[in-house]
Amino acid sequence: MTDPAIAVRGLTKIFPVPLHRQSIVAVRDLDLRVEPGEVYGLLGPNGSGKSTTLKIILGLVSPTRGCTEIFGRDSRLVKSREAVGFLPENPYFYKYLSGEETLRFFGRLCGLGGVQLKNRIDELLELVGLTKARKRRLGTYSKGMLQRIGLAQALIHEPKLVVLDEPTAGVDPAGSREIRDLIVDLKRRGITVLLSSHLLAQAQEMCDRVGILADGVLVREGRLQELIAIENQTELVLADASSQLVEEIESLINRSNAKLIERRKSTTTLERLFLDATTERPKS
Amino acid sequence: MRVLLVLLILIVLGAIKLPIERDLAVIHRQEHFRGVEFNLDLREKLGQLGFIAALSGFRAIVADALFIQAHVAWERTEWSRVLLLFRHVTTLQPRSILFWDMAAWHMAWNASVAAMNDRAQPRLALRVKAQREYFALGKDFLERGIKNNPDRPQLYETLARLYREKYKDHERASEFFGKAAALPGAPRYNRRFSAYELSYCEGREREAYDRLRQLYNESEKERLPTLITRLKFLENKLGIPQDERIPDRAP
Amino acid sequence: MSSDTGALARHRAFSFSRVYAITINTLTELTRLKVFYFLLIFALLLIGSSIFMAQLTFQQEFQILKDVSLGAMSIFTSLLAIVATARLIPQDIEDRTVYTILAKPVPRFEYLLGKIAGVLLLLAISTLIMSSVFLAVLYTREQTVLHETVRQMSKAPREQVDDALRAVRSSALNIDLFPGITVIYLKACLLAALTLFVSTFATTSIFTIVVMTFIYFIGHLQATAREYWLQGHSSGWITHGFLAVVALIFPDLQAFNLVDDIVAGAAISLGLFAKTAVLGIFYTTIYTLLAVFVFYGKEL
Repeated sequence: MTDPAIAVRGLTKIFPVPLHRQSIVAVRDLDLRVEPGEVYGLLGPNGSGKSTTLKIILGLVSPTRGCTEIFGRDSRLVKSREAVGFLPENPYFYKYLSGEETLRFFGRLCGLGGVQLKNRIDELLELVGLTKARKRRLGTYSKGMLQRIGLAQALIHEPKLVVLDEPTAGVDPAGSREIRDLIVDLKRRGITVLLSSHLLAQAQEMCDRVGILADGVLVREGRLQELIAIENQTELVLADASSQLVEEIESLINRSNAKLIERRKSTTTLERLFLDATTERPKS
Repeated sequence: MRVLLVLLILIVLGAIKLPIERDLAVIHRQEHFRGVEFNLDLREKLGQLGFIAALSGFRAIVADALFIQAHVAWERTEWSRVLLLFRHVTTLQPRSILFWDMAAWHMAWNASVAAMNDRAQPRLALRVKAQREYFALGKDFLERGIKNNPDRPQLYETLARLYREKYKDHERASEFFGKAAALPGAPRYNRRFSAYELSYCEGREREAYDRLRQLYNESEKERLPTLITRLKFLENKLGIPQDERIPDRAP
Repeated sequence: MSSDTGALARHRAFSFSRVYAITINTLTELTRLKVFYFLLIFALLLIGSSIFMAQLTFQQEFQILKDVSLGAMSIFTSLLAIVATARLIPQDIEDRTVYTILAKPVPRFEYLLGKIAGVLLLLAISTLIMSSVFLAVLYTREQTVLHETVRQMSKAPREQVDDALRAVRSSALNIDLFPGITVIYLKACLLAALTLFVSTFATTSIFTIVVMTFIYFIGHLQATAREYWLQGHSSGWITHGFLAVVALIFPDLQAFNLVDDIVAGAAISLGLFAKTAVLGIFYTTIYTLLAVFVFYGKEL
């Protein structure tokens, strides 16, 4: 049996508030398992304990009770971080470094060097589409570019697991589309992804499984399709259907014991519209 | 919890480093570093700002600033101010030969002459008294300077000059030229000067003669006109036999 | 329980190359802060003061030039140590760069070690630059004075000229200045490590700087407090306890102010220099280790 990519058992984190008697419970009795190769979304409103959970998994914050493991290694061990890449929420890197220098710095921290590191940097810049901006200082990068360079640094040492804290927060739709595509690409290559988000529509597109946190408690968990499916309803989406065909279908329904709940014209999503409109005219 | 532990570690380490620091302070005193005691007296003298500056590693610069002020006061012949400022300067920087030397020079050579020529004071006796007081102040600076720098020859030499030129005390002058000569780094003339001064002392002519003769024999370079004059004077006074006397003219 | 770790080499508990990467990055960060403007002020101060001093005798001029230069060097390196170090950790936490770094297989002590090494490197470079400027100005003035002396004494006997030139040379550069400058550097290292320590439990860099300013002054008074305490001069147990705390907890910064007396002509013995250096290194090490200890318990 292989170890889960992430195992969280009985995790509780209490932050004492200075000068006050009561303290804040950020996470309460959390149990979580992320299997290798899946994309897991940790969802919840702001302040629900998502970031704290991620930080504990990465060993940045120590748990009050319980334990977390990455591929069977305790999070408190530095060694556990070999297999994981992390992109924090709204990352700021060193503004005075260029994209390339940033990746070189983080590569060195992972024990890479020489030709191996150089090739890896070229590869990643290509992957996140920053090859042209490689010599530019990060101070001049847009938010989407920062997020992408952040993703590149998280991948520098070819981790088997990537942890992303709000990867699309504050990025425009085109940017977040690119990031989503990258995440889907990671999944295709067998990399486990744990991401947190409060943007549910996006999570829905990417995640295999989700967990919903509220006030530090995991209130729902499971496969996305199972969670959102409505058991006794079925949708048909038709193209080029004549009105005659539709009437026939309706009469068939009326004769059965099923009930037609809603009939409407399909619409595109606002996002699709936005993307089509903004990509028709390339930016000058 | 961790904070308390850190505090405990700091105190334990403090107990370990304390003897090391004390040991270092003892060496400082032995090697005449840190000749300044920071106390309330010094704070009153320097004022708050100067005191803080002196405390935080600006001691030498504060001393220099006061020294420049003293220089200005001297140009304006404000003698009591010169004295006061030099007292601060030498307190702050007791290792500087220059400051002790300048302080003594201003007192014993400049202020004393000014006091003697003071038109505002018609009575000669009082003028002489003031002059003697400035001599004493100069001497005091030099003696304290020597106490702080016993290993360097310059102040002994200045004190010897003070005895020679101001007090006409040849015996003391000879003594201090001698002390200067005995220290490393002293100019050669100190030995000569010590012997010259001794030659003026009643009852010590024989000793002076021996020393001058030794210098004469040591090297051609020592046979300077004054040395020859003093030797001849002593030869006559002591009645040295003709065949032991030096030739009239240098060969 | 263990699983393979992918393409990477086995993790090492300590890696010099990781520390080196952080050191160089810290140094880059600090140099981009334009800290070297400090050095420009230093150079102007020096050249300015040497022009102003032209009216004094050369002994006075050289002494003041040396006092001002080394005093400025001492205060600038101390200031640089405090200001540069104080913002390193809070800035990284605020910008979340610390998360990205520590989420890599980098132990926390390596992170701090890299940071402090970067500051010490910066201080070394600054000290070298300031020393070079100082020596260049001193050398130029010395040459000018030597030249003037030769010109003025053109008719004097050879021996007297030699004596005069020797007097000029001996009052200009004093070989004991070099251990003095080393001690200035060690004091700055001590202050940097202490600042790092304070910044591990401080939340803002302003707090750290204020605390360090107090420590700086108290540190210079520590020797006085220590002697009062050990000799039992103090009256009342409150004063006695206060003095004890000061003596035990604070470093004796006065022990590192050797350069004032060196300029004035005091010779520094090898023993004194060695002991001072050992004390400086001891403090720097201890404070760095304490910083590491506190940092390990810190919630980021």
